[in-house]
Amino acid sequence: MLRESGVAFFSSLTLHSLAMAFVVGVNLALAFSLLGLIPSLLNKRFEPFFTLHWWAVGLIFVSGVALLIAYPAKALTNPVFYLKFTALSAGLLITRRLQRSMRCQIANHQPPPDDEPSNEAPTAFAMLACWVVTIGAGRFLAYTHSVLLASRYF
Amino acid sequence: MEQALLAFSHETGIFDFMHSPWGWPVVESLHFFGLSLLIGTVGVFDLRMLGLGSGIAYRHLHRLVPVGVFGYALNVVTGTMFLSSAPDQYLYNPAFQTKLGFMLLAGCNVLWFYTTCSTEVRATADFQAVRGRAKLIGAVSLLAWCAIIACGRLITYYRPPYHWCFWC
Repeated sequence: MLRESGVAFFSSLTLHSLAMAFVVGVNLALAFSLLGLIPSLLNKRFEPFFTLHWWAVGLIFVSGVALLIAYPAKALTNPVFYLKFTALSAGLLITRRLQRSMRCQIANHQPPPDDEPSNEAPTAFAMLACWVVTIGAGRFLAYTHSVLLASRYF
Repeated sequence: MEQALLAFSHETGIFDFMHSPWGWPVVESLHFFGLSLLIGTVGVFDLRMLGLGSGIAYRHLHRLVPVGVFGYALNVVTGTMFLSSAPDQYLYNPAFQTKLGFMLLAGCNVLWFYTTCSTEVRATADFQAVRGRAKLIGAVSLLAWCAIIACGRLITYYRPPYHWCFWC
């Protein structure tokens, strides 16, 4: 039904893109702050962006499941889908870890490193790599499937 | 127009690259990456102007704008590659035309920001809210970019031979 309803499929696709752009965008901003382009964003003032970020992650999950239900064989038989899923999970784990360390800093009353550019380049590059792979795999998914519908086997 | 774009695409080698197995998905990935750079820099700055993340210095977030400009330039280059490789798929496509309209709106909005309140916003204290005009500019920018993403997705749905364009 989702596959046949143009509006439902298009809405899922659009929401997936919007939420993905926001999540990747926030993570890129964090990565740039870790690279020292701007003072660190990892302080409690950034918490509202984290909240919005995790809501967008929820939207990615819901719309992603909807897209998967529409074309399950297309995604599940394609290794690129698993690559996207792995890179996305790794990217989100890094974000979660950063958020946790930020909360620990706040709980321990350590002053936020507001005016000091942070130097956490390896984490920043890992984040950038995860999100570049997630985006690339997401786009390649549309071009690399070998099976579109499982019904071809019946 | 269509012929001129195709000729440009052939002369520059863009056409051959785009019609190779890797061409379209690689350029689409770069296009989305450029868009994410824009959302992560301009979008975050817009949200800050709208009041999210009170205490984050406007001037610090504004330092990310050149990264957003790079993202925009990346999108212009990759967008031109799409357009010149298959002009018939875009020129008569109402979703593409609407997308261009929203890009124009976003562009005018940026000009409005830099000619009226950019200095004032950057000088605003960290915990102070910006004025109503700056908030309006932030809201217009966010809405325009969301609409641009939605129209970008819609392009696929209005591809020829099913011309849905009512005014072409």
